Amino acid sequence: MIIAERKPMEEIKQFVALYKKVLVAGCGTCVTVCWAGGEKEVAMLASQLRLATSSEGKKISILEATVERQCEREMVAEIKDKVAEADAVISLACGSGVQTIAEMFEDKPVFPGVNTTFIGMPEKEGFWVEMCGACGDCFLDRTGGICPIVRCAKGLLNGPCGGTRKGGKCEIDPEKDCAWVLIYRRLEKQGRLDVMRKYYAPKNSRAVKRPGRVQAAKA
Amino acid sequence: MKTKIGIFICNCGGSINNIDFDAAVKEISGFPDVTSVNLSSDLCLEEGRERMLSLISKESIERVVVAGCSPEFKEQVLCKILEKAGMKRHLFSMANIREQCSWAHEGDVTGKAVELIKMAVNRVRLLQPLEKKWLPVNREVLVVGGGFSGMSTALQLSRVGLRTTLLQGDDALGEEAGGLESFYGVDRGTAISAARADKNIKVLTSAWVEEVGGRVGDFSVRIRKGGKEILRKYGAIVVATEYQTKLAVNPAIAASSNIVSQQQLRSMLGDPGLEKEPKSVAFVFDFSNENSRFPTVATLSNALEAKKKWDSEVYVFYKSVKVDSEGIERLYHEARDCGVVFLKCEIPPTIVTENGRVRIEAQDVFVGEDVTLTCDVLVAEDVYLPGEGGENLSSLLNVRRDSRGFLQDENVHLYPVASERKGVFFVGECRGDSDLGRVLTDISSVVMSVHDLLSSGKALVDVERVKADPQKCVACLTCIRVCPHGAIQLVRADNSKEVAGISDLACYTCGVCAAICPAKAIRFQGYRDEEILAQIETFGESLDGRDVAFCCEHSAYHAADLAGKLGLHYPQNLRIIQVPCAGQVDVFHILKAFEIGAAGVMVMGCEEGACHHITGNTRAKERVRYCNTLLQEVSADSRPVAMFNLSPNAPHKFVEAVKEIARLMKESGR
Repeated sequence: MIIAERKPMEEIKQFVALYKKVLVAGCGTCVTVCWAGGEKEVAMLASQLRLATSSEGKKISILEATVERQCEREMVAEIKDKVAEADAVISLACGSGVQTIAEMFEDKPVFPGVNTTFIGMPEKEGFWVEMCGACGDCFLDRTGGICPIVRCAKGLLNGPCGGTRKGGKCEIDPEKDCAWVLIYRRLEKQGRLDVMRKYYAPKNSRAVKRPGRVQAAKA
Repeated sequence: MKTKIGIFICNCGGSINNIDFDAAVKEISGFPDVTSVNLSSDLCLEEGRERMLSLISKESIERVVVAGCSPEFKEQVLCKILEKAGMKRHLFSMANIREQCSWAHEGDVTGKAVELIKMAVNRVRLLQPLEKKWLPVNREVLVVGGGFSGMSTALQLSRVGLRTTLLQGDDALGEEAGGLESFYGVDRGTAISAARADKNIKVLTSAWVEEVGGRVGDFSVRIRKGGKEILRKYGAIVVATEYQTKLAVNPAIAASSNIVSQQQLRSMLGDPGLEKEPKSVAFVFDFSNENSRFPTVATLSNALEAKKKWDSEVYVFYKSVKVDSEGIERLYHEARDCGVVFLKCEIPPTIVTENGRVRIEAQDVFVGEDVTLTCDVLVAEDVYLPGEGGENLSSLLNVRRDSRGFLQDENVHLYPVASERKGVFFVGECRGDSDLGRVLTDISSVVMSVHDLLSSGKALVDVERVKADPQKCVACLTCIRVCPHGAIQLVRADNSKEVAGISDLACYTCGVCAAICPAKAIRFQGYRDEEILAQIETFGESLDGRDVAFCCEHSAYHAADLAGKLGLHYPQNLRIIQVPCAGQVDVFHILKAFEIGAAGVMVMGCEEGACHHITGNTRAKERVRYCNTLLQEVSADSRPVAMFNLSPNAPHKFVEAVKEIARLMKESGR
């Protein structure tokens, strides 16, 4: 799932400063799950903006809308009237959602209300950790299903480095597990430690040609 | 949607005398949807209510607001009467114009009373009818732990006609180490044979719980017995596992053969082939445990026995002798009379072994001197520790443990035997230090609770009082993770996508889930966003500034009532909104309240550690903190929003809190 977090208020306030009517647009998928841009956050940000502008003595009207997936044109089309009504849009979706709206309504300034941070999973309620770097050349078969590219601070393909702390923690951040210790333990459990004996040449970073494109097999 | 709202204002037999009722009636009569406003003085009496019912049917009133005393007194009665009269359930609201208006302020309060009634009207207009229905519940009970508490619970449940499976980890019933009841002269053997013979009890030994699914009335439990796996359904689960003990002495000497536990001394006393009878025995107790009733009994009965049987010299080092259970005072005097020496100490004695004997050094507080004595056998104090597997069991059952690891969270509302999950109970030693009196009380309590819950084979519930809208739910699992009562799980709605399913039976209607749902998918009837906000919108941006207090119905709301009853006055600009738990108050509600025009906002919940919904008040505190951050981000003039924790019997604290928010407001120049 895509994880995002709300942008600092100062930035958002600057975005809206020039406009009279602003639409706060949420997305009902990933960013709802990670508490960054679902209907609740839309309502909270809208409320905050109204309070901000009223305390500054300005008159801005704030509209609210949340679509199921902002990265789908058909779904964004459902709020086209509200977009048309607004002078500008703050999208609380991931970068992909922001761009979908921006592309569909080229005459409207569309601003990102969140920073899209990573692909991750919840560790506990309200706390997400990065799991996948979307590198386009998956390595997980060799690492017991643990990605060293994002979970090792150095992104090593042939770890561990010499800096693993006692207790299997990372030398850069003692709070974080050393991914390579996790990998070793996992492979050990599976009786596949031999996999670690092999040296892996640096990854071909050109595997992902920007912008990436994926064509699913024809159904 | 047009609706007919009837308003019944009661002057509580003349006990409200600072409201101009005629003026109030006049003002409310013109309010949208209000088709009838009636004044009476006796709504709590039969005649008053009959008049109300006949008016309702004559004027085809669909929704009712009663203004008068606090809902504490008559809300449920009035609900039932309206229901009986054929009105749809739940289309009813009360305006507390007595305790929280007339009695809480000096001078004329007609304006405030009218506003409170209008708030109730705006709420009642939006309420949706609630259905009730019977849900089937499984009448079988799983009792985990085949010691004395477990066996007795199963036997008593059998007596009220409920079948149980009695699960014992060891290979025989009653084989656990605690041995508490034996010191009270209770025979374990009788219970064992009775449990074995009882047709309502299925005994499974060498068996343990591997997985618990479902919820109250319908738990599905996977039990492992030997190589076999048993899957069974139960309506309730009673945990009656026992504690472990450890001697409270330096570990280096704990293994010495002459430092023993109460249980070991008891075995020595019963051993006819004992090699050498100790000439002197010393006891140390009441330095490590909170509840030392049982250690007192064990010490006194062992001391007496040692005196009688071996004629040993007996010394007891203690902090205090707890004689508050039946027969203990007599036992204590008997021990003194036959020569047991009691030495009271404030600090635990020092214990060392030397030349095969034990030396005890203590400070006797009565004599005021240091005492040193050497004895053959020392009976050290037992420290009670959570039983083995308690951690695993608590995670299987999804219940919290206390700070020492025992199976029951430290929350006053759970005592004596409940857990935060409906249908999961704890008895006896798994809850911590115990004595027979407490164990027996636990057993009776649990049998009553389980009987209430399951005996009829069905339970009456409000249908979908709290519900996740399957169209809006994104299955983010947040509510499942935060529900303090484990009442939510993923279900397939109409065989389509997975969504959060809230069990009507397991739900305690606290609203913690509704306040955290990021998709705003959870609707709590009576406390939906629109129902809360409609009340605030009633007064909107009043010139004199209204403070809004979201008051938990278990604590602050009562405290406010009590303030009124005691005539403790507070500023008239306060508007109380009753909520089921402070944890139900959403950050969005607070922001919205300011947006609508509130001057200050208070969230008032139970004292920490005493929330009816375990984590509701701590979540509320977090939210208020977060809300302050959000407000500071956007506004130069800080808007006061504060959290207060208070108990229902703390009216002074309530009034202080109201004054505090007024002070904060003044400071911020609003």
